[in-house]
Amino acid sequence: MHLRRTVVGLAITFGAAAVVLGITAFGLSSKGPNNDRLDATVVGTAQTAQGPVKHATLKLATYPDSMAGEHGTSGGAHPDWVSYGPSTNLHVPAHSLVTVTIDQYDGGEKITNPWFAKVRGTVDGTMTVDGKTQTGTDPDAVGHTFTVHAAPGNQDPLFVSVPLPAVADDAPVATDTGYPTSPHVVVFSFVTGGPGEYVWNCEFPCGDGYYAKFGGPMATQGYMSGTLTVS
Amino acid sequence: MSADLIRDEELPFGNPLGQRVRRWTRRREVRGVLMLWVVLTVLLVLFSFVPARIMGVPASPTKQAVEDTMTVFTLAASPVAALVWAVAIYSVIGWRQRGPGPPTEDGPAIRNHGLTTVLWVGLSSVLCLFLLIWGIAETQAVASSSTGPLVVNVTGQQWVWTFSYPRQGDIETDQLYLPVNQPVVFHVKSDDVVHSFWVVQMGIKVDANPGQVTQATVTPTRLGTFDVRCAELCGLLHADMETSVHVVSAQDFQSWLRSNGTGG
Amino acid sequence: MSEAVMQHGAIAPPTGGRLMRRLNLGTAVAGGLVGGYLFWLVAHHFLQTDEPNTSDQVVTLTLLGWAIGFLVGIGAFHGPWSWLMGHDQSHEDETFLAGKEQGIGRYFRFTTDHKVVGIQYLVITMFLLAVGGTLAMMIRTNLIRPDSGFLSPQTYNAVVGLHGLTMIIATIIMVTGPFGNFIVPIMIGARDMAFPRLNALSLWLLVAFVPVLFSAAFLGGIPTGWSGYAPLSDQAPPGMDAYLMAIIIFAVSSAIAGANITTTILSMRARGMTWNRTPIFVWGTMASVGLAIPAFPMFMASMVLLGVDRTVEGQFYVASGGGSPWLYANLFWLMGHPEVYVIVLPAVAAIMELTPVFARKPIFNYNAAVLAIVGIVGLSIMVWAHHMYASGWAPDLNGSFMLTTELISIPTGVLFLVLIGTIWRGRIWTTLPMMATYAVLWNFIIGGVTGIYLSDVPADYDLHGSLFVTAHFHYTLMGAGLTGAIGALAYWFPKMTGRTLNARAGFTSFWLVQIGFNVTFLGMFAAGLAGQPRRVVHYDSVFGAANLVSSVGAYVIGLGMLVLLYAVVSSWRHGATAPANPWGAKTLEWTVPNPIPLANFEVLPVVIADPYGYGEGDGPLFVPLPPSREDDEAETPDGGGRAGKHAVLAGPDAPRIVKEEES
Repeated sequence: MHLRRTVVGLAITFGAAAVVLGITAFGLSSKGPNNDRLDATVVGTAQTAQGPVKHATLKLATYPDSMAGEHGTSGGAHPDWVSYGPSTNLHVPAHSLVTVTIDQYDGGEKITNPWFAKVRGTVDGTMTVDGKTQTGTDPDAVGHTFTVHAAPGNQDPLFVSVPLPAVADDAPVATDTGYPTSPHVVVFSFVTGGPGEYVWNCEFPCGDGYYAKFGGPMATQGYMSGTLTVS
Repeated sequence: MSADLIRDEELPFGNPLGQRVRRWTRRREVRGVLMLWVVLTVLLVLFSFVPARIMGVPASPTKQAVEDTMTVFTLAASPVAALVWAVAIYSVIGWRQRGPGPPTEDGPAIRNHGLTTVLWVGLSSVLCLFLLIWGIAETQAVASSSTGPLVVNVTGQQWVWTFSYPRQGDIETDQLYLPVNQPVVFHVKSDDVVHSFWVVQMGIKVDANPGQVTQATVTPTRLGTFDVRCAELCGLLHADMETSVHVVSAQDFQSWLRSNGTGG
Repeated sequence: MSEAVMQHGAIAPPTGGRLMRRLNLGTAVAGGLVGGYLFWLVAHHFLQTDEPNTSDQVVTLTLLGWAIGFLVGIGAFHGPWSWLMGHDQSHEDETFLAGKEQGIGRYFRFTTDHKVVGIQYLVITMFLLAVGGTLAMMIRTNLIRPDSGFLSPQTYNAVVGLHGLTMIIATIIMVTGPFGNFIVPIMIGARDMAFPRLNALSLWLLVAFVPVLFSAAFLGGIPTGWSGYAPLSDQAPPGMDAYLMAIIIFAVSSAIAGANITTTILSMRARGMTWNRTPIFVWGTMASVGLAIPAFPMFMASMVLLGVDRTVEGQFYVASGGGSPWLYANLFWLMGHPEVYVIVLPAVAAIMELTPVFARKPIFNYNAAVLAIVGIVGLSIMVWAHHMYASGWAPDLNGSFMLTTELISIPTGVLFLVLIGTIWRGRIWTTLPMMATYAVLWNFIIGGVTGIYLSDVPADYDLHGSLFVTAHFHYTLMGAGLTGAIGALAYWFPKMTGRTLNARAGFTSFWLVQIGFNVTFLGMFAAGLAGQPRRVVHYDSVFGAANLVSSVGAYVIGLGMLVLLYAVVSSWRHGATAPANPWGAKTLEWTVPNPIPLANFEVLPVVIADPYGYGEGDGPLFVPLPPSREDDEAETPDGGGRAGKHAVLAGPDAPRIVKEEES
């Protein structure tokens, strides 16, 4: 009789705990809003200083709101937050030359830390902006940056930082999307090492209303921050 | 084990205090606790060398001093911890009441023992003084002059460390390069929230504050690549705010400076 | 007088209470929701939505409305309101409020009986520990592999912060709440606390605080960890507003409780209970709340300033606006260091209280124990900047803070002396409370010594912000604090519930928790020494083994705590009835029968000796004298220590208690 009581009591305790843990785990285990991954498209091989490697391309854009990114056309929970699109969950192949094209639709201003107004970590240390090769951009008119940096672990280091120039405030705007008709097209390439998990985020804080402007979209994955998986 | 050896008759040798000490050490429980205390002290002394091993090979005299401190403090704490644990362990061997119910009689009504208290407080004060002197001496030893020839400006920004070399033409980099055996001063600041600049294997750390410049000095003494991590939770990607410091020969450092000349 | 006795001997339900009869937890929640909604409506209507701080203002005001509405709904203002309106609460009202003859319902109302409040605190503590523990399981599950991806970085940071604050609050209240309220008044020979209504208020403020804290999880979480460092906290999503409001509410609750406990101990000890005869647990409790009274208002101040920063762009912590993050750090640690002694002192004092009982010896050097407690209280106010060695705030002061911090090791060492001196040559009865003493002796040494490493400035430069620090404070706050609290629970369980705690389950839980605990945090020391920062969602694979060990240990702790939960609940419901004094202890609470009468004592005792007279013969500790003529006043809960009737020490013919009756 006592044994039965003990068993039943223990079963209820552990059962309840398992339910609580299960629900919590389910609720918390999302990786964030950037669940739709964007894979780089392999387009062939390319010659690099290390010999021939796979060549993959990735197309991204930066928008002045979140209507065109991964949050759906309604913009998700924060439609007025700037965002990258179409996804912030990027996948690129290992040991490859990756060429990234970013259409920059957003305005900008003077960058806080001019260190990030220069191109770093790309092939030749350059990028092309609207066709012109540059090693940096005017620090007084930066829109965003695309900065890939290290996450700890036994993986090859990878650091790439590219400033994205701002669209002028008086540029013509398309009537349907509200975005500028001619974004700045920024193209750069970098070489990946072995497989690993990296992060990237914008290093030009623009979260208005937040301290140091680094809150809001800057501090939420799926907007101005995401992951780069090399596999 | 033989019974208590408390005897009232005088032992035929030694001075009265020595006799009392010898009589005391013949007591069963004293011998038991002493034995446990010796065994535990030995074990803890051996263990004292483990923290430094886990911390790894030091890359600077500062880190070496930290590892020495861990070892010495553990050694100093060993007999104290061993004593407390010896009494605790002996108590469940030698003084435990058998059987399920409450003890049938009380223990001896020892309210105090002045000598024990005085010895305990006295010895712990001496130990405390030793730790203090050690700490002050160590702090003086690792503090190099802040006018070392190599200055590196460190900026923490959510969530990346960036560096520049103001005296070498403002060369900028995300991977720190340092020449071996040369003192370096880090001027550390943050552009946004509080970060903490930690060069792990060199044992130095200082917070990166907005609106302030803080300072840390070290002399790297080992060649190799070491870790720079952020040690103050600074938001979303705090765990990714990590980079490397490469300690190279003076020659290699100069050639690195040249190849990075324009900071591009 | 207050109740009619019916012919067949039954007692009619109590009259009195008026509106308070209808107010309970349900009306409180309803009041809180109404209040929150009203404040939200007003805020929403009048605040400009395009202002950057609007959501912060709305959240702050809504939660304020919740708190006020909740207190209105539980009837916290009924007493002052009645007084203002000129018809003060009557004797019947107060008898009702004391929970006379109300069964289980009194635990859900604004009941002033300190025993009810103690049980309510115990339940809340258990709830907070369960939630905090679940969050800890989330953390350790995420860290079981170098980059598990189980939790996103944002969620992980929020989980870490909420785990921290939940556990900090739980450990602050876990001894002084249940046992400071339930046991201490009886232990000092009083009928209730000095301010019974404030007692209930402090508890219900805590209940109001709980949803405010957890609402942070739904408002974007907090990115800062429980220490809420500015200016990251300025930048944070609205979850931070919930966090700061929760702290403000908690600070009010603890200030009220602190004032209540202090006044009770200072002025309501039984006659003859001089400071020399006051049980050591009472000293520890008073020291703890004495520290809390100056400390938690600092926390509240730091949060108010944060609220100003966040809602109206105050620049207190913003360097570019003339403020400084160091302002926050100083305010926080001025609270933060005394706060850890607020946590540890009552737990260690409880251990010092129960060890003489299970070693059958007087406490060793009682005066030294008291002086050590006082010394720790005094020194703990002077060490706070050892948390800020690496901050760059005042490097020239680092040496001074190293001095004061290392000095604290001396009175702490005296506490160890007292414990092992009490054990020395005792007659050890290895019950579950006594096992807690041994666990505390093991864990607190490790915790204390690793604290000494951290007090050394150059070592701290390396170890600060690493998992070494996390392991150190878990060894002190959990290894000594929580273990001591579990020992206190096991010790006083028979008195508080009238039941015997299931010993087999208790011991099983004890070993699981203690072994799991040591595995978890020794592994964590290793990870910290090797260079792993704290509060990181993923880590370098070189730390993999240490983290795996830690996570496995954490699951063992979780299992052990579940067994303890089972033991407590099942014993409470259908454990064997406990005798009035199963441990043969000598403090006053063991002299009252189970179930404890509403007014604790039939006649208030007069104390003539301290409660540690083991081995000194069976002399009486106190003299309860026969009821006097005015004894029908003796059962009033508001009688207090002085106003209630107690007889004076008569001559040699007075009746004496020679031996405890054990049923």
